[in-house]
Amino acid sequence: MRRVRRLALQYGLVVLAALLLNFVLPRLAAGDPIDYLMPPESSPLVTPEQREAILASYDLDGSNTEQFVTYIKNLTSGDLGVSIRTGQPVRDVVVGRLGWSVLLVGVAVAASTVVGVLLGFAAGWRRGTKRDIVLLSGVLAVDALPAFFVGLMLLLTFSVKLDWFPVYGAVAAADISGWARVTDVARRLVLPASTLVLAGAGSIFVASRSALVSELGEDYVFMARAKGLNDRAVRRHAQRNALLPVSTAVLLGFSTLVGAATVVETVFSYPGLGSLAFDSVLARDYPVLQGVFLLLALIAIGANFLNDLLYPRLDPRVKDIG
Amino acid sequence: MKSRTTALFAVLFVLLAGTVSVSAQEDETVSLTIGLHAAEKNFNPLIRPMAQPLTHDLTNLVYDTLFWSQASESPEGFLATGAESSDDARTWTITLREGVKWHDGEAFTADDVAFTFQFISDLGGPSRYGHHVTDYPTFVSAEVVDDFTVVLNFEDPIPTFKFLPGGDLPILPEHIWSQIDEPLTYATELPIGTGPFEMVEYVPDTSYRLVANEDYFLGDVTVDELIMPVVRNAQAAWAGLESGELDFVTRNVPSNLIDGMRDNPDLEIIEGSRLQSVYLMFNTRRPILNDATVRRAISMSLDLDVFVNLVEGGLARPGNDTWTHPDSAWAHPTGGHVFDVAAANTMLDDAGYTMGDDGVRVSPDGDRLEWTLYVNSFAPPQIRSGELVAEQVAAIGVAVTVESLDPAAISSLRRPGPDGPPNIDMFINTFEAHAHADPDALLFFFHSPGDIGVGGFFSGLADPEFDALAVAATELSAEERVAVGNVAVQEKLAELMPAVTLFYPDGRWAYRPAAYDGWVSDPGHGVFNKKSFIASYVDAARAAEDPPVADEAADTEDAPATEEASATEDAPTTDDAPTTEDAPADAETSSDDGNSGLLLAVAGAAVVLAGGAFFVRRKNARAGTVQD
Repeated sequence: MRRVRRLALQYGLVVLAALLLNFVLPRLAAGDPIDYLMPPESSPLVTPEQREAILASYDLDGSNTEQFVTYIKNLTSGDLGVSIRTGQPVRDVVVGRLGWSVLLVGVAVAASTVVGVLLGFAAGWRRGTKRDIVLLSGVLAVDALPAFFVGLMLLLTFSVKLDWFPVYGAVAAADISGWARVTDVARRLVLPASTLVLAGAGSIFVASRSALVSELGEDYVFMARAKGLNDRAVRRHAQRNALLPVSTAVLLGFSTLVGAATVVETVFSYPGLGSLAFDSVLARDYPVLQGVFLLLALIAIGANFLNDLLYPRLDPRVKDIG
Repeated sequence: MKSRTTALFAVLFVLLAGTVSVSAQEDETVSLTIGLHAAEKNFNPLIRPMAQPLTHDLTNLVYDTLFWSQASESPEGFLATGAESSDDARTWTITLREGVKWHDGEAFTADDVAFTFQFISDLGGPSRYGHHVTDYPTFVSAEVVDDFTVVLNFEDPIPTFKFLPGGDLPILPEHIWSQIDEPLTYATELPIGTGPFEMVEYVPDTSYRLVANEDYFLGDVTVDELIMPVVRNAQAAWAGLESGELDFVTRNVPSNLIDGMRDNPDLEIIEGSRLQSVYLMFNTRRPILNDATVRRAISMSLDLDVFVNLVEGGLARPGNDTWTHPDSAWAHPTGGHVFDVAAANTMLDDAGYTMGDDGVRVSPDGDRLEWTLYVNSFAPPQIRSGELVAEQVAAIGVAVTVESLDPAAISSLRRPGPDGPPNIDMFINTFEAHAHADPDALLFFFHSPGDIGVGGFFSGLADPEFDALAVAATELSAEERVAVGNVAVQEKLAELMPAVTLFYPDGRWAYRPAAYDGWVSDPGHGVFNKKSFIASYVDAARAAEDPPVADEAADTEDAPATEEASATEDAPTTDDAPTTEDAPADAETSSDDGNSGLLLAVAGAAVVLAGGAFFVRRKNARAGTVQD
């Protein structure tokens, strides 16, 4: 219990640091929201009073310190401000996009875990064989390709040449509902999710493979073989223990995938948090950027926290060290 | 294990394949899917964020103007049926069309027109249309005479009222906008207009759905439904057009794709004018750049045909030193560009700029002729133009470094500081139709910084002679301006050279004729404009013999005017002319790689993998090892 409290304290500090960074980083870029709202042709016609009034309507008037205080104050009451680009409350904008991101990244994490672990164990079990080397070099080669490139390649192959999947969006803009909507969403999910799987399975593959390899070198495996256990039984024992480090790789890989999702969402015009962040950076939409980064930071921190909490349960040996 | 893996993949594959089955249901309604390159909020006409295509063609699907359009030779009545000016052109009496209804069923009346002018005037400069009523000419008041007559009073003469603001400023419903607290940021509700389409669904940043206005005052609307997803990635948009998922894309077809699209039997290319220009602007408040001789010499060192060929693949026209687009009603009769490196060098020598040892000239004060040129990092044509400028000005001993930044950063650099001019040397940007259609554009952009115009954000040019000429021109009738007034202003501008127009890009769009082929090219608005959906214009364009698939920029005489409404209207239906979008915030990838680059890369990767496999195989065979 003490461990949990200490962890919570540590993570609390990290969240505070994240809040400050989220506030400062968007403001470091040249230009401000007025440069987006009022392009050069009109901005000379904006009087200083009008400028202040517009900024005030977004709670962006006053010095940076004042803005930060207002931001934190509003945050405690759950108010994230209003988007400069869309005029909606940031909470609505972010929540509206979150669903698509959870779907996309969730499916991608699940699929890349399955693919990565299966292939990793298959390679690790027969380390040094042809199969291992082909898998290892193949997976690493794919993993090294940039996500936007993989995305475009899939798009050109499966959408343009084969005409199997749509090229944009999470759901058709047309008025559809029911089962048609479900299949439409699924079809539009395939390419972006596959891109993320190709981008994300590599690290899980490597983690599973090396975990299994090191387990296979353990004394208990030697013992098991000496006892005459068959391959199947040996493999079952070793794989179970090898899953421990893999769980860490999955949770950490989650954050990487969120980053990759920004690129993939832009390629496929997928309305998730990544493309929202991209558009908001261009518009200097500070309130949305603060909201998105805060949420992403919380997710990443949460994943780590979960991992820290989960690990002692998965592996009792860690308790003593912690 | 092996069998289990196989089974798992089989299940995954079946799941995926199951979702592939397409359910295409076809009914009577004509529904078009249009890939937009950027979102325009809820079409709030007052906002002009950078990502918004500046001609507001989307807005004009839902809203109407009194006349249409700003860029035609003679605007025809839309919401207005006529407009009479007083002798001094300061007072205009507008007669309005009767029986027009807003999308919510309320009647359109003179109150709405009076309200719109007063409302935008009260808001002041910041709105998109603010300069029409607050800057020059200045709106004074509106009087409602009866339900369908309104009198507008201006402080200055405004002989060109029918063009601007008449042909540009959208009329807003008083019963809606009088209730809106913060109109400049209002962006969440569905808009109510009088236009041919009514917006029924809006997913911010993602998509729009518009349905035809059954009661449109200009008659039938040819398309029942417009589904308009925002497809940010240019490659994805072209892919969607080729696969049939999209019927039209609002982007200009890049020159590297145009041949492939012409060969595709499912696609057609239509050309049209959007009156755009790509220009290089000098900050004339900088030392040395404040010398017109230096600016003229730089202009003379630029071979604009090279820009046309290398940046636009030949699908553009070289810029005129007289600035205004050759297809604009206000263009200089001859235009032309002086390209003469030797003369430029002589000019600089004579002015005392001596060539340094490193090939860069030095001013009499000892300063190097060395500057930074900013270009929009999301607009490849601008980046390439910047590189060409840097390359060509080297021939006259000028050193230019190109730097690309995102649009908001460039805007902030262009903003004058509290105590002085902005800290920028020069930049490249694109002007949309409005800058060429507005007869007062030159006054607006190049008048000395101060009460009139926005010169401070552009070159900061301060030349009393130019100011006097430009102000005098505003008092002339449209005919006098074409013949004399604007000619003098443009010639003065060419002499002062605060900016170099590099080229006027051609407009070309691709569409699927099987889905819809009623596209009408409207000068200054391209083909994605409301006329493409109004039956009378569509029929007239179809009747005008060879439909708008003109391949060659032949200056054919204008297609016969349609029977609709007032005299002239949209003269050239099949038009050569320029355009190109490049909305700043859209990562246009018109780079030359495209599909072939991808295929090459894939082939390369395959070769590498195959090589690796072969190597591993040989190694294993030699070692003869099989573990386990």
